[in-house]
Amino acid sequence: MLERKAKMWQKIAAAAVSFALLILIWQLAAMNPQFSQVMPGPFAVLQKFFVSFVEPIGKNVMLQHMLITLSRWAAGFIAATILGIALGLTMGWYRGFEAFMRPLFELVRPIPTLAWIPLVILWCGIGELAKYVLVFIGAFMSIVQNAYHGAKSVDRTIVNAARMLGCNDRQMFFTIVIPASVPAISAGLQIGVASAWSSVVAAELVRSSSGVGWIVVTGQQNNNMTQILVGILVIAVIGLLLALLIRRVEDVLCRWNKRGR
Amino acid sequence: MTEQRKVKIRVDHLTKKFGDLTVLDDVSFDVKEGEFLCIVGPTGCGKTTFLNSVTKLYDITAGQILVNDEEVDLKKHNISYIFQEFSAMPWLTIEQNVGFGLDIKKVPKDRKKELVDEMLEIVGLADFRNFYPQQVSTSMNQRIGIARAFATKPEILLMDEPYGQLDIDLRFKLEDELIKLWKKTGTTVLFITHNVEEAVYLSEHIMVLTNKPCHVKTVIENTLPRPRDVMSLEFVKMRDHVTEMIKWW
Repeated sequence: MLERKAKMWQKIAAAAVSFALLILIWQLAAMNPQFSQVMPGPFAVLQKFFVSFVEPIGKNVMLQHMLITLSRWAAGFIAATILGIALGLTMGWYRGFEAFMRPLFELVRPIPTLAWIPLVILWCGIGELAKYVLVFIGAFMSIVQNAYHGAKSVDRTIVNAARMLGCNDRQMFFTIVIPASVPAISAGLQIGVASAWSSVVAAELVRSSSGVGWIVVTGQQNNNMTQILVGILVIAVIGLLLALLIRRVEDVLCRWNKRGR
Repeated sequence: MTEQRKVKIRVDHLTKKFGDLTVLDDVSFDVKEGEFLCIVGPTGCGKTTFLNSVTKLYDITAGQILVNDEEVDLKKHNISYIFQEFSAMPWLTIEQNVGFGLDIKKVPKDRKKELVDEMLEIVGLADFRNFYPQQVSTSMNQRIGIARAFATKPEILLMDEPYGQLDIDLRFKLEDELIKLWKKTGTTVLFITHNVEEAVYLSEHIMVLTNKPCHVKTVIENTLPRPRDVMSLEFVKMRDHVTEMIKWW
């Protein structure tokens, strides 16, 4: 136990050193007069970041921008989670549906979210709906794919055991296939969170009047390097926090899957 | 007494092929109600295929399997199966695993609790009821399967080398438990094993299968008095006789 704690502190220390080095190198580079024209130093960026919570960028302060982007992310991600798990599990468990659906899915899956943007804007306009749809597309594919593999690789012995214990088809799906697929589904959600987050930022970069992606793109338009970096910083930190959140959810759902705890 | 029992399972000209490979070749026999039948045979002769055919986990190629004079039907007949591999649901606690079959059969809560407690006690898992299968040992995992199968009070119990992976102490203990449960419940048991001593210790009848394609070589009646002593002369004689019958070389 003590050893584990010591190991944890070692890890934290190592991470702290690598962050400190990044900031140091960045600061040294920014002190070079040539370079500093295109790259403000870390402290200027941090200062701008904190100020932006009080002084609005565009019409909104930073917290509002964050919440706007997060709500777009959440709308698309939640829809993708529900529909993606349903489609993936059904496709993985029912052979007939798989034969019908999988070729179509495999055709659509490799299309990058970015390639959908023009089409989605033409179909849904430039409002909120288009952003939800793009986030949805970004997360949907990997969630379906992983849920599909989860349902596909349910242990046959367990399926047979359940059948012997009298499971009908519906009970088999709900009491065996779904719980057995939870680890695979969680893996899909991990990937889905990240791709949904990049999709929402991409959507905001293309067309929007608020949100963290918009902060970056207006920074570019106004040649405001500090604002661009603030935007990127916020995107990185929120992306990291979302990944941690989903990992936490996975830990709770997959307690049984951890050996020797 | 044996004559009065009615036929529980009738296997009639059962044949099972995987492509060109004939695994079971025209197998016919009866199992009486409440009988304890051990099935022995050379390794890889198709013992597991045989059980899987009886339960309809595999489609059979030809022949018929009747339970109580009706085509076997898992929804109608309460058949339990204890597998060679671990089959505990890893996402359920041990207690939930043992109660799984009862949940499926919609047994009332109180009755379920009673049955689960009883079974956990018998297989010695009561102290581990809230653990997950991955947290306990190999032998405990096998006991989960046994408790889960018995909890539903099956009319037919199929066991496929269930004790093959257990240490010898525990095997003896669980064999005695099995005999006790069998006597108490009157379940019809089909028990596959490659361990002749185990077969002689447990069975009323021992069915010897031949090498592939597998058919019934002989059925040996085992009337040794219980409790059986593995060191007694009669026991050793019976064991040698069965061993002799299994040899195919």
